[in-house]
Amino acid sequence: MPATLRLGASLRILIGGRDEYAVEPGRSVHETLVSLGIKPELVAMVSVNGEMQTKDYVVQEGDAVRLLAVVGGG
Amino acid sequence: MNGYGGSILRVNLTKGEVTKEPTPADVARDFIGGRGFGIYFLFKEVPKGADPLGPKNKLIISSGPISGMLVPGGGKCDWTTKAPLTGGYASASMGGHFTAEMRYAGLDSIILEGISPKPVYLFIDDNKIELRDASDLWGKGTFAVEKQFKEKLGEEFQVAVIGPGGENLVPYACINHDYGRQAGRGGVGAVMGSKKVKAIVVHGAKSIPVADKDAYRKAGMALYKACKDAEGFKDWTRYGTTIVVSWCDEVGALPTRNFSAGSFEGGKNIYGPVMREKIVITDKACFGCPSPCGKYSRNKKYNSFVEGPEYETIGMMGSNLGIDDIEAVAQANLLCDELGVDSISTGNVIGWAMECYEKGIFTKADTDGLDLKFGNVEATFALIEKIARREGFGALLAEGVKRAAQKVGKGSEKFAIHVKGMEQSAYATHNATAMLLAYMTCDVGAHHNRAWAITYDLQVGRDKVVPEKVARVIWLQNFRPMFDVLGGCRLQWVELGIDRDLYVPALEAITGIHRTWEDLDKVGERIWNLTRLYWARENEGFGRAWDMPSPRFYEEAPTSGATKGQITKLEDVNKLLDMYYEQRGWTSDGLPKPETIEALGLKAVIG
Repeated sequence: MPATLRLGASLRILIGGRDEYAVEPGRSVHETLVSLGIKPELVAMVSVNGEMQTKDYVVQEGDAVRLLAVVGGG
Repeated sequence: MNGYGGSILRVNLTKGEVTKEPTPADVARDFIGGRGFGIYFLFKEVPKGADPLGPKNKLIISSGPISGMLVPGGGKCDWTTKAPLTGGYASASMGGHFTAEMRYAGLDSIILEGISPKPVYLFIDDNKIELRDASDLWGKGTFAVEKQFKEKLGEEFQVAVIGPGGENLVPYACINHDYGRQAGRGGVGAVMGSKKVKAIVVHGAKSIPVADKDAYRKAGMALYKACKDAEGFKDWTRYGTTIVVSWCDEVGALPTRNFSAGSFEGGKNIYGPVMREKIVITDKACFGCPSPCGKYSRNKKYNSFVEGPEYETIGMMGSNLGIDDIEAVAQANLLCDELGVDSISTGNVIGWAMECYEKGIFTKADTDGLDLKFGNVEATFALIEKIARREGFGALLAEGVKRAAQKVGKGSEKFAIHVKGMEQSAYATHNATAMLLAYMTCDVGAHHNRAWAITYDLQVGRDKVVPEKVARVIWLQNFRPMFDVLGGCRLQWVELGIDRDLYVPALEAITGIHRTWEDLDKVGERIWNLTRLYWARENEGFGRAWDMPSPRFYEEAPTSGATKGQITKLEDVNKLLDMYYEQRGWTSDGLPKPETIEALGLKAVIG
């Protein structure tokens, strides 16, 4: 069962592309981003099933991964 | 006048008189409110050369047309004055609930003038407005005073109060409100202290007239819906600004050991999720906010409660001081709030002192015996107290980092991290040229809230020096501070990414005046230029040299972390300024050209 990876609107504005990707589990979020051609440093926050994780988190089956960029800052 | 309380309250502290006058319609048209009102009144009314802590300076507190309204984040007010920290323009934004009550009392601005012969507080209960004796409150901490007022007057009264820092005229003293919100930067608290005003308490009972009630409700609800539907709503609400600590660490923007690096080896201990798990007990919102970024914490290690810390304080009191303990950072936050000093400037100046100590410029003989190594939590706590009370070694640091470094010399000026005398806030800018430019040209000194461009740096190429980056910074500087003009919070746009066009119908329904963002950006540009003209008027020889950043960002590359070995070249710093001045319509020395002044309708204002 693949995991879903959703891009927040702020990130979509930066990189274009789709809202949602189905990704294979077993790789880190960082590796997954690289494989999708997304610069990992543009992603400010990784949320997995509602909890904040680092990009080292290894994606599990059925995970709902949400990615946010920070466009406006503090 | 639709969208306005209708009155400006003047408080002549020297005479002990309060008077109201109608809010001028032409000023509302051209400057709208908030920091627009602030710079207009400052420029027009405070004479050239006024001592920031003298009777001729004024403290101008202004709401805006969306303050206290059914618009997300309408809980902001602006505090403008001539800055004791920099000698230039200061404008500090404060959240909470103060601005709403001020508006319900019919007040668009409160202008404090003169100096009271004794400590007083300003009491506003709708139409009943008095100066009252505050001798028994002088010397007390901010929380104790706020609690006392709430118990005596009721929860409906909102309180803005200074602590010992403001009373002792520390030039980066802040004003506290709602047990954890501040008008933080530039020394607005010191100006209030110089006027012998301990607090302002306000409660109002009036309505704000709006032009079109149905359209107002519809536009307001559309804004709330956009916030709730935003992709990051749950995450931003859960973590607030601490969401970016880990990311800043990753990309080399987290100030570490007095900005000598941008990544911190102990960073993981102060990330947002760690704080959420260890100390946060609930979320806390300002007036009308659907996405509370405030985090209220129970700090068991120190047996205390505090609002925060938020990102800036984590950066300045944590990594910047080499402290990797979130509970210690929270306690430092509490001390700053209680004593009434800005945690950003305080963390910055302590970082400078620690670096001086580690380099042997200071010894224990200078520091009242404190072992000022990076990471020393107890020494940090002691210094916050000493600064606020101007005691011993704290008296030097209470001057601010620029003046302290000038006094000490010995090369310490090179690692005093400031622009125009304001301590840089919590983004390391070794190789982020747009963000560096944002700090260099910010109209209050090295503060991040006017323009924030690190993601743009990463997107375009962090070392790129191109006109597009400069244009981005200018656009942000014109646009972002408009939230401080309207009296609202920018974080719904910044964090949640809601469409800024949704504010247009809300503003029109409230004021009856149709303004597009193109119109509003023009107002922002007018205000930006007027603040620049104010700096030039108050400081002989003002120009390019004032916009230079700390040499640390163009001479000393970090030796570790994500920006290891990276700096911005000095020639690129100058190139950034050249492009910036040209795009702004300023001279090569950074002063608005006559045709720019004319085009922005500022000729009549500056006289």
